[in-house]
Amino acid sequence: MLVSDLRKEFYDVIKGKRILVLVHSDIDGICASKILQSLFRADHILYTVVPVKTRSDLVSAFEQHREQARYFLLLNCGGCLDLVDVLSPPEDVKIFVADNHRPLDVCNIYNGDQVRILSQLGEDEEVPAFEDVFREEESEDEDEDSDEEDGKRRRFDEETLERRRARRQWHQQRHKIIFDYTQFSYYGSSTAMLMFDLAWKLSKDNNELLWWAIVGVTEGQVFERTEQDRCVLATGTLQGHVSRLNHQTQDSQPLDCLRITFEKELKLALYRHWSLVESMRHSLYASTTLKLWTLRGEKRLQELLAEMGLPLVQCRQLYSGMDVNLRQDLRSLLEEKSEKYGLPDLLFPSFSASRGFRIKVGSADYVYSAAALLEPPQKDITPTAAALDVADCLAVGREEVLERGIEGSKQQLSAIYRQVQTFLDMNQVISAGPFLYATVIQGTPDAWFFSAPHCLTLLARFTLRAHVSVSRGRKSGALPLVLTSPDVRAAQPDTCLVCGIPPTSEDSRRNFFGKAFEQAAEKTASRAELEFFDTNIIRLSVDDRSKFFDALISLLS
Amino acid sequence: MSAALHYPSYYPSYFSIEDILATNEKVPCKFEKTACDLGFLDPSGGSKDLEVGTKLELPCWLARALASRRQIVSCQLPKTFRERYREILKADAALVDLHTLSPHFYELGQHLLPLAGPEGTTLGLLLVETLRERLRSIMDTSLNTTEDDAGTRQSKLDQLERSLFLTGRKTFRDHQLWLSRRAHIVTTSYMVTQHNKRKFSEVS
Amino acid sequence: MLSEKALELIKELDRSKDGKLPAFNEDIIRKVLEEMNTLFQQNQRDVGEAAAGEIRYFPSIHLRHAALDRNKRCLLAYLYNRLERIRAMRWEFGSILPADIRANLCEPETQWFNRYNKNLASYMRSLGEAGGLDLTQDTKPPKNLYVEVRCLRDYGEWEVEEGDTVVLQKDTTHYLPLAACHHLIRQGVLEQVE
Repeated sequence: MLVSDLRKEFYDVIKGKRILVLVHSDIDGICASKILQSLFRADHILYTVVPVKTRSDLVSAFEQHREQARYFLLLNCGGCLDLVDVLSPPEDVKIFVADNHRPLDVCNIYNGDQVRILSQLGEDEEVPAFEDVFREEESEDEDEDSDEEDGKRRRFDEETLERRRARRQWHQQRHKIIFDYTQFSYYGSSTAMLMFDLAWKLSKDNNELLWWAIVGVTEGQVFERTEQDRCVLATGTLQGHVSRLNHQTQDSQPLDCLRITFEKELKLALYRHWSLVESMRHSLYASTTLKLWTLRGEKRLQELLAEMGLPLVQCRQLYSGMDVNLRQDLRSLLEEKSEKYGLPDLLFPSFSASRGFRIKVGSADYVYSAAALLEPPQKDITPTAAALDVADCLAVGREEVLERGIEGSKQQLSAIYRQVQTFLDMNQVISAGPFLYATVIQGTPDAWFFSAPHCLTLLARFTLRAHVSVSRGRKSGALPLVLTSPDVRAAQPDTCLVCGIPPTSEDSRRNFFGKAFEQAAEKTASRAELEFFDTNIIRLSVDDRSKFFDALISLLS
Repeated sequence: MSAALHYPSYYPSYFSIEDILATNEKVPCKFEKTACDLGFLDPSGGSKDLEVGTKLELPCWLARALASRRQIVSCQLPKTFRERYREILKADAALVDLHTLSPHFYELGQHLLPLAGPEGTTLGLLLVETLRERLRSIMDTSLNTTEDDAGTRQSKLDQLERSLFLTGRKTFRDHQLWLSRRAHIVTTSYMVTQHNKRKFSEVS
Repeated sequence: MLSEKALELIKELDRSKDGKLPAFNEDIIRKVLEEMNTLFQQNQRDVGEAAAGEIRYFPSIHLRHAALDRNKRCLLAYLYNRLERIRAMRWEFGSILPADIRANLCEPETQWFNRYNKNLASYMRSLGEAGGLDLTQDTKPPKNLYVEVRCLRDYGEWEVEEGDTVVLQKDTTHYLPLAACHHLIRQGVLEQVE
């Protein structure tokens, strides 16, 4: 069932009751859960929060806790699964789902009572009509029975034949509709934003919650999950909230509190915590446009810096060590030169937070830091502990966790850059017909970084853009990319992760690989685990890889 | 609980472990009378009895019991309370490494007062003056050091001063907690953490 | 030197602090009692002689008497300090001590602990009207009825209020009434988050 008024149909229902929250280990989900946690604390709603990473985590967590509460909330997980089927909840249990993955399963949307969907569907998201997918089944059974009873005479009756034909047609139609509906997977609006809206309607919003909502929305931008126009809309709404909550001047408020500002930000990853040159090299946009892994690219970068009047020595030091005047003018200097060097989108509207005398941190920095904390380079941190780390880095007064995340993120980005360089130098991005294909070789020391969904997706996007920028033909721009990397974090040996991303030339971020992987795995009976909620990533056994890819190629051509 | 008999106190207490350890320090004594059948206490002598004039180092508790009224032995102050060290302490008390000198300086000093004879007053004054001079830096360091430094700062203090130092540190920490509004957060009890740490190290 | 064994007991206690109680050292206690016995016997014999007029035994008698006093003091201090630590453990660990600590108590000490437990429980029950006040709770003045806690290790099910249970799994976060989870926080199973 789709819920339109979150306040009446969700919040007022759970007031005074216990609720169990199952959160997907992604940044948007964790931000949303933090916003909800602070709301629940204000109203003394007892809650339990369990982080989950894969489908089996979700099922086992539900099993463990099924006796504990009557209300469950699933954040960014489970929307695309038939929940009643998968979880088989007891009769009096209500499950609320706030999931930004699309398409939502039709059984969840049309479920009368137990499953309530809190996510708001946008105008461009079409859901099949109820009559097209569900139909009274009883009458058909009766027909079947009465057919058998009355024997041969009935079978050739016009009416029955007509009914059976109609039924068959309806089923075919339904099959086609469902296939069209689930073919492309994409992301809807941010769940953290939804929860902030709820907080606003309850008049319990404040700057902290707003910042978490901003970080949740920025995740969609950084990982290119949400479409451009939706991004712009969300930014606009957030800007409204920011100006509402931040209009007081610095002097009238205590220095220690959070201040959010809205300004044009450079699309350079972590540039405030790194040196300018390093940051340019490791940012997707700047690096692939200027082709910084080639000698020519390096020269162009030096030209750019020289034209802006920034001494090379300073650009190679840490950003905080650069001259104050240079830092202040950096944005305007880059904006002037951006056209000439082909970087028109270098500046984009974004939010940054400052607290007291600490340096300003942008929301993208938070996202990178949190992504690195979720998939840490240390080998002894469990996924659930990593999720708690992310929750910590967003909390007040835990700056050391954020610092740790930023350091980890630098390592991640460096590993990605090195791998992309390897791919391009050795021409390892091969065209397999309907898509491009690249493999991270077994035994690469950086493979540890890539055995995790967020990092793998970043690597795939970097590789695709880099490849498109250096390849001569125009065709590569229209091809999607499938990237596979050995899964060294998994318990079973000899598995790999396969990730598919849409081509760069398309604006829409709709990804058909979820369905494609599923079908290819079925056809070849490969040992594939479609475990992740982000369906464009699956885990596959290495031995089945070649036949899986053959099936995939034949499917997509 | 404040008058618990076993806490280290500024006055000797029967059950106090600190006090028992302090009174175990050796005092040089000379026997004025023969002690029969106790020759085994003197490892260098060969006789069955402790002859008059035997010089022996007895623990303070024994020295006091035998010296005060019964005058079975006559005592001298231990090396660390004599002229030379008194001069050093008078010169600059704050710099002296009291722990190596005598870990229970003040307690022992108090117990030695009746044994000191004519030097009693000077000894008493010495104890007070030393503490007075050192107190300032103890207070300062206890309220202003980081956790890492605390170990090195403590190394030159004797036991009494160390307990003062630790009290100061605890007060400092409590104050910090209160300032950062974290005083109400319930934490794992200290004993439990220590216990778990030990169990963990034993298992691994 | 006399009384050295007794001092070993004291040194043993001095070395261990904070949540560790060394095993009850029956061995050394027995040795100390033996030494006391020997000294006493010797003194008895000498006193008999001294009473008959031989003053030359006086120094030895006093020396041995001082040693006896010292031994007695050490033994009593040992027992007393151990009891104080056990009492402190009731307030830190709760009414059930960890198995390895329990193994280090001697039989009379265990009995003492149980009696102290009973005493404390009946005292706490007698406070106030509504069935008593748990003094071991709320060691710091609480700011809130409910607290957010994180689970540090798997603990299983835990009853929160009448009939409501929570499954305490590692790395889950809960919002529970302070009264229900205070004990678990003190035991290191949960961690309060602020």
